Amino acid sequence: MRTRHVLIAAAVLLVAVILQTSLFARIRPFDVAPALTALVLVGYARHFPPETAMLLGFGAGLLQDLLAVSPLGLWALVMTAVAYATVRFRGRIEEDFKLMTPFVFAVTFGGLFLFAVLGTIFGEKTLADGGAVKKLLMPAIYNAVLSLAVLPFTAWTIGASRRPGTEFRL
Amino acid sequence: MWRPGGIDRSTSLLIGLIVLSLTLLTVDLRASGAGVGATLREGVQGVLSPVQRAVSTATKPFAGFVESLSDLFSVNADNNRLRERVLELEQEVDRLRSLENRVREFEVLLGVVTPAGLDTITAEVLAVGISEFDHIRVISKGRNDGIGVGMPVIDEGGLVGRVVSVTATTAHVRLVVDPIETVAVRVERTGETGWLSGRGSGPMILELLNTDAAVLAGDILVTADGKYPSGIPVATVVRAARSEVGFSLRTEATPSAALSRIDLVYVLVYTQDSPGITVDDGSGRIPVVVPEDPGDRTSGESEEEPVTTTTTSVPDDPTP
Repeated sequence: MRTRHVLIAAAVLLVAVILQTSLFARIRPFDVAPALTALVLVGYARHFPPETAMLLGFGAGLLQDLLAVSPLGLWALVMTAVAYATVRFRGRIEEDFKLMTPFVFAVTFGGLFLFAVLGTIFGEKTLADGGAVKKLLMPAIYNAVLSLAVLPFTAWTIGASRRPGTEFRL
Repeated sequence: MWRPGGIDRSTSLLIGLIVLSLTLLTVDLRASGAGVGATLREGVQGVLSPVQRAVSTATKPFAGFVESLSDLFSVNADNNRLRERVLELEQEVDRLRSLENRVREFEVLLGVVTPAGLDTITAEVLAVGISEFDHIRVISKGRNDGIGVGMPVIDEGGLVGRVVSVTATTAHVRLVVDPIETVAVRVERTGETGWLSGRGSGPMILELLNTDAAVLAGDILVTADGKYPSGIPVATVVRAARSEVGFSLRTEATPSAALSRIDLVYVLVYTQDSPGITVDDGSGRIPVVVPEDPGDRTSGESEEEPVTTTTTSVPDDPTP
């Protein structure tokens, strides 16, 4: 891994955050948008060393916090957890690639659920939202579908390659 | 670095980052929207808002194409529904014209300035909140344009929300449907007052206390709160309801503003702390606050703070 790869990942995460807040303001099937930043983070956390992956997650989350009105640190914590979960499970996923889509669904749902719980604890009334279940499920479903395109793209941006039976290597 | 046995480096880092996040959360919550967090937010939003604006503009045609595709399916049904609605509204307009004239006469008598008399700032929606749980819109005007925290935001349909944070060039608007938001409202038809709470998704909850009259489906709810100028449409009642003995009336209402498709909004130059005189009309309802000296206020000319408002203090004895 080189510094260049980390910088590319950071830049793509920044673009994801911007697209999340601008493009997906209008394209919202069933009035819900994908959680693009979480998906891109999963894409990079598969390839980077654990510490780098978690720092990337923390940074992406902090950027989201700075663009949101929720308390600073909420998204940072959630995205760090998403990166950690990816790092922990990536070995098993790479062994059986069919698990990737269900994993993306689970980790997105889990991340959003963690955000909802923490948001409620910190006074955001997140779980009081009438459409909470839909807002947890739909982005997870969208992410699972989008992962088929986004994950190869993130791997391509950092030149990661995979041979059958081996781990990804940079 | 010391690590307890059995904990690897990545877990240690996870714990460290969680502690750091919780520290940030605590510090930011204690600062209540000020301090280093606010400075950082302003800096980042200042840098990224032009990028968001550019991306929003560049992707508008594509987004519009996708939107129009999804609209295509509902166009025919919408046409028929709208034709019927036009007929209904034409009859309604005739009735309202006479009512409007009567209201104007009363306004002149009371010196009340309607929301239409307030200065407005037109802004474009640049971005949405980070997640589906953030009922936030980022608009293209900020402190430099005269926008301040607490100002109401409307669109052609009605109340959209209020400004909750401002940077030099952008502002964050919290939508009325946010579960944190509660708006004091008046049923336009009966004059009964109550409050409307957001639920994030789906209809909002309307609660009326001490109400004698039932609410009907289609009743329009307008603002009746010091937080907002009175008379702005907020929502329409979905389900008729009647209060039961000893209980408040509770039903559902849908927002008047097209919250899922806001593009342009108007920020009302209005603050809650504007001076006013409370006028209790003896009806037992929320008293109206009228300006001490209404003067001659026309849109875009006034430099004074707008003052038309109502208060939320309900008299102890609600009976007329």
